[in-house]
Amino acid sequence: SFYSPRGPHFTGCRSREQETFRCWWSAGIFQNLTEPGTLRVFYQTKNALSEWQECPDYTHTVKNECYFNKTFTHIWTSYCIQLRSVRENITYDETCFTVENIVHPDPPIGLNWTLLNVSHSGLHFDILVRWAPPPSADVQMGWMSLMYQVQYRVRNASHWEMLDLESGTQQSIYGLHTDKEYEVRVRCKMSAFNNFGEFSDSILVHVAQIPSKESTFPTTLVLIFGVIGLVILLVLLIFSQQQRLMVIFLPPIPAPKIKGIDPELLKNGKLDQLNSLLSSQDMYKPDFYHEDPWVEFIQLDLDDPAEKNESSDTQHLLGLSRSGSSHVLHFKSDDDSGRASCYDPEIPNPEDLAALLPGHSGRGDNHPLVSRSSSSIPDLGVQQTSEVEETPIQTQPAVPSWVNMDFYAQVSDFTPAGGVVLSPGQLNSSPEKKKEEENEKKIPFQLVSDGAYTSENTARQLSADVPPSPGPEQGYQTFPTQAVEGNLWNGEYLVSTSDSQIPYLLPEAPPVPILPPVSGYTVVQEVDAQHSLLLNPPSSQPAICPHSPNKHLPAMPTMPMGYLTPDLLGNLTP
Amino acid sequence: MSSFLPAVAVLLVALLCLDLHSRVASAPICTHGPSGCHVLSLADLFDRVIQHSARMHSLSNDLHSEFEQYFLPSKNHIGKIYHKCHTSSILTPNGKENAQKLAREELTEVILKLLMAWRDPLFQLHQSMAHQQDFNSFSSNKALEMGDMAHELRKGVEKVAERMRVLGMLGNSVTGLSAAEAMLPISDSGEAMSNYELLYCFRRDSNKVQNYLKILKCRIVPEHDC
Repeated sequence: SFYSPRGPHFTGCRSREQETFRCWWSAGIFQNLTEPGTLRVFYQTKNALSEWQECPDYTHTVKNECYFNKTFTHIWTSYCIQLRSVRENITYDETCFTVENIVHPDPPIGLNWTLLNVSHSGLHFDILVRWAPPPSADVQMGWMSLMYQVQYRVRNASHWEMLDLESGTQQSIYGLHTDKEYEVRVRCKMSAFNNFGEFSDSILVHVAQIPSKESTFPTTLVLIFGVIGLVILLVLLIFSQQQRLMVIFLPPIPAPKIKGIDPELLKNGKLDQLNSLLSSQDMYKPDFYHEDPWVEFIQLDLDDPAEKNESSDTQHLLGLSRSGSSHVLHFKSDDDSGRASCYDPEIPNPEDLAALLPGHSGRGDNHPLVSRSSSSIPDLGVQQTSEVEETPIQTQPAVPSWVNMDFYAQVSDFTPAGGVVLSPGQLNSSPEKKKEEENEKKIPFQLVSDGAYTSENTARQLSADVPPSPGPEQGYQTFPTQAVEGNLWNGEYLVSTSDSQIPYLLPEAPPVPILPPVSGYTVVQEVDAQHSLLLNPPSSQPAICPHSPNKHLPAMPTMPMGYLTPDLLGNLTP
Repeated sequence: MSSFLPAVAVLLVALLCLDLHSRVASAPICTHGPSGCHVLSLADLFDRVIQHSARMHSLSNDLHSEFEQYFLPSKNHIGKIYHKCHTSSILTPNGKENAQKLAREELTEVILKLLMAWRDPLFQLHQSMAHQQDFNSFSSNKALEMGDMAHELRKGVEKVAERMRVLGMLGNSVTGLSAAEAMLPISDSGEAMSNYELLYCFRRDSNKVQNYLKILKCRIVPEHDC
């Protein structure tokens, strides 16, 4: 073993071709043992459990070498060798090994190189290096399969470049510099074993540099300047077209916008302005009214006599049974399509009028408030008389008390089912008294044809016998207007004629005191620019006919002045 | 869709009419010898087998080196403790001349015996390496691959032997081919061998197999300078 440097020891055992092997030893510092023959080698092959045998051949030419020839070499067999001094019978060293593990192949032979190519610049070249396997190794049969390793370096440099193991007998070396001298050498080992053999002799590689006529300097310079110029051009282009490029690469994000509304106003405007703005949009108006379930358009209609038998909505509203003798206020819901305000109303049939005279009880289907045909709308100038049917009151004791009610009926309550409970208007002390009063009181009036409430004037005149008393508990107020002219409505209205065209006017109708207008009912005079409704002031100036131009309502011939329906409202323009 | 219906119907009828009992089988390509097709020559077979054995031996060497490096650093590269391998009972030629002097049949038999003897021990080696935490998965995969290679190599050598017998190169005195038996890796003391011992022994035996195959090929397939 190699761990006792002082005394005699083995310095190594090697096999070159895996058929023979040699061992060497050293006497160490013991000088008295350097004489030949004093130290002897004994070996033992472990597989046969043989005796210790002495070295078969001490090499004569080489000192301290023991040679085992083919006969004594057993591959795949463990050997143990001992270094003994026979005289002293001391074993100085012992080591064990197997032959295949001590194989160090001989170096390859025949190393040479050929030039593969030279680069265009003439600065680099590639070579191909070839060699032959060591002759001692039997590679033809494959007894030893060798792997080779090539190394090279610049001449006299300190560091060797190593290439990968090669199983063949040639290898290329790339990227060598011209005008430099290189050394190349090769060694081999058995594949699947780790013991390299000795290096072969180095060979010198040198390729002279061919001076090329064209210089590389201008080419590089041209390239650099070209690149710089291109960069400058690009920068100039970008700076000149900056805006367009910005638009192309970074398109502006559209700001939120509502049609018709200034976004600045949205940011800074006041709440009122915003509300008016937003409400002015078309999208809001129609929905508002359509969803309102409480708006019902109760229309008076001048029905044909044939239609009088039909029960009206009010009948259903008030829960009254339909009877032929019931003098029901014949309400007919009619679509509130635009009608001319200055219509010529139908002249009532004098027979009908006569039929409505008190005393005439035959026509039970007459109504105290006659509704004529719906197509006719009374004009202001034309008075359509209708009779107050007194006789039903007299002859029909079962007339409901509400008949005496004034023309306005206030909705006092709503049933849970959605029905409307109307509160009866002015009820006098006793029905009998009422009847008497009614007998005397004949209030001719003109009925509104459709789609409107009666005006306050008519309401007042209807209930002229009723002492007007201010106060909201009555349910409604009557306006003590004198004349028909107080009526602002163009089209449908009830005009009470205080003139004595109708002989049934109550002469004793007490002058109705003029009361200040109070809340409850108000006539919408106009709609101003901001869509706020301007209500009828007390001393309202007459706006008789739509022909009189009202600057706030420019082109609205079909609008009923007293009441603005939502779809009509939509026609209003600020 | 209606245009597809006739095609589908035809297809169904055709399927029904097919002989469903016909089986798919691989027909031998070369039924009439080398004239009809390319038959792998014995030399090619030998080359393949030798390549395979070389790879197997390389694997065993790598594993052994790893083991030596990480688990037994105290051993120097010369001094090795003698391990008695379980295949020591098989008589193997110890040198090139001895192997060359051996008859082809015996050499083939020795190769097959060796390969057979290592079938189970290699499997055990892989199992124990996989279970131990000391080995990483890379090493245990190598052991598994090694075992598979040994198995394939044995199959290959059997094929080669078969071919040699067909070609008349092997005499009738081949008795050992069927006598190859599996052996248990038991050391002298009767204990199971350690992983290191197994690796050591297999490395040696794989080298033997490789070299024997080379010698055999040189003798069967005469080449220049062989």
